[in-house]
Amino acid sequence: MCPIPLPLLQIAVFSPVYSPFFGVMGATSAIVFCCFGAAYGTAKSGVGLTSMGVLRPDLIMKGVVPIIMAGIIGIYGLVVSVLIGNGFSQTMSLYAGFIQLGAGLSVGLAGMAAGFAVGIVGDAGVRASAQQPRLFTGMILVLIFAEVLALYGLIVALILNTKASDSKC
Amino acid sequence: MEALFFNADDGYLEAVVRGYRSSILNNTAYINLTQCETLEDVKLQLSASDYGPHLQNEAHLSTSMLAQKCTDKLVQEFQYIRAHAVAPLSHFLDFMTYAYMIDNVILLITGTLHERDTHELLNRCHPLGVFDSMPALCVATNVAELYNSVLVETPLAPYFKDCLSAEDLDEMNIEIIRNTLYKAYLEDFYHFSQSFGGPTAEIMTELLQFEADRRSLNITINSFGTELTKDDRAKLFPSIGRLYPDGNLKLAKSDDIDQVKATCDVFLEYRQFFDGTTGTGATKTLEDRFFEYEVDLNKKSFQQQFHYALFYSFLKLKEQEVRNIVWISECISQGQKERINNYIPIF
Repeated sequence: MCPIPLPLLQIAVFSPVYSPFFGVMGATSAIVFCCFGAAYGTAKSGVGLTSMGVLRPDLIMKGVVPIIMAGIIGIYGLVVSVLIGNGFSQTMSLYAGFIQLGAGLSVGLAGMAAGFAVGIVGDAGVRASAQQPRLFTGMILVLIFAEVLALYGLIVALILNTKASDSKC
Repeated sequence: MEALFFNADDGYLEAVVRGYRSSILNNTAYINLTQCETLEDVKLQLSASDYGPHLQNEAHLSTSMLAQKCTDKLVQEFQYIRAHAVAPLSHFLDFMTYAYMIDNVILLITGTLHERDTHELLNRCHPLGVFDSMPALCVATNVAELYNSVLVETPLAPYFKDCLSAEDLDEMNIEIIRNTLYKAYLEDFYHFSQSFGGPTAEIMTELLQFEADRRSLNITINSFGTELTKDDRAKLFPSIGRLYPDGNLKLAKSDDIDQVKATCDVFLEYRQFFDGTTGTGATKTLEDRFFEYEVDLNKKSFQQQFHYALFYSFLKLKEQEVRNIVWISECISQGQKERINNYIPIF
């Protein structure tokens, strides 16, 4: 006869002690990788903006757009981290831990990729639109396409996160 | 692989250079220029191109003014690119300017040797080859001081150090000094571009090999009938060309143009240089054929992306364009329109 009651056995198997580790790593990776991307985007476009702004100070405020978009990517990471953090508990299932890790990585790495793209496009676009003003709308369009990659990561993370509370143990 | 990382630092500048490339005058523009009667018409035709804003305020037209303005535009474009470049592109662009620096330093050395006031020579230096401490070079009163200040101040120090000493500067013919420096520079540039790998190394190899072979051929042909000994001649040949080592040995021993032609027959592309140029009544000189081949190679470098060789090609094609405009203007202003079609069409 099994000496351990069945519900406790289920908890022990499906909710081991180390499951919160994966959840916390998910929350960390969401914010950390998104901030990598946002930092690269801000730095690269900032350099382009300062190079351009020396001779065309009137275009500086228009050129801040790529930096704002890079900052938004950081916000995506923050949102996902907070949402994941709301689902922690000391005994949570390994299933929930894995889902939270997946959600964090998806928004984190997508945000890092989007941040790189926003940085490179913002740098070249800001320098070029100082020479050719008609390029501004083109630059905004390309920046939007780059930004939306992080949005896809955010959507996947949110969908995944709602599944984390479905675990039966 | 370079497609993944090139645009991060150099994408904007490659786009700008491709924009400059499309502003290079094409064949239609040249045909219109050759049909002009006076320099006023030339200025009118050029005002429709990118040269317009640079020429519009000029009241007194002359060929030298035209050449000056066109070169100024080229220098402006190059300096814009250089200002926006980061390493390693900035190092590559600096390397390109060393050739002009060599010319400027030779000009200053000649001035010092002939005891002329070097400050007025500063105005005649090529703007792409100026470096910060150029006025310091003018202070030197004799050649030994000049040699020391060149070693300290200029990036050309390695080319001087290995090949020349202070006594050589006094005794050697100035053209030999120029060619020795240029040989060292070309070999250095070649090894530098090899370090990039990928399409940059490939295309620069082709371009620099042709430059080296062209210099070897020119030195050989120009030294027929002078007191330059064959050993001295051999020391001036760069070692990076396709003619190295066998072709260089044969060129060093040749005495007339038929032997030079036989040396070049080994390479299919070089064979065409000598068809129809030996003897009188040649319609194209050897120089013209070299220029044509160079323009061809430089045009081809624009067909690949994500490499630095197109900055080098852009500079060379723009220089050829300035030479073309000056040739056409000279023919028009002197009224000798028989040879006006001897420009080298680019696009």
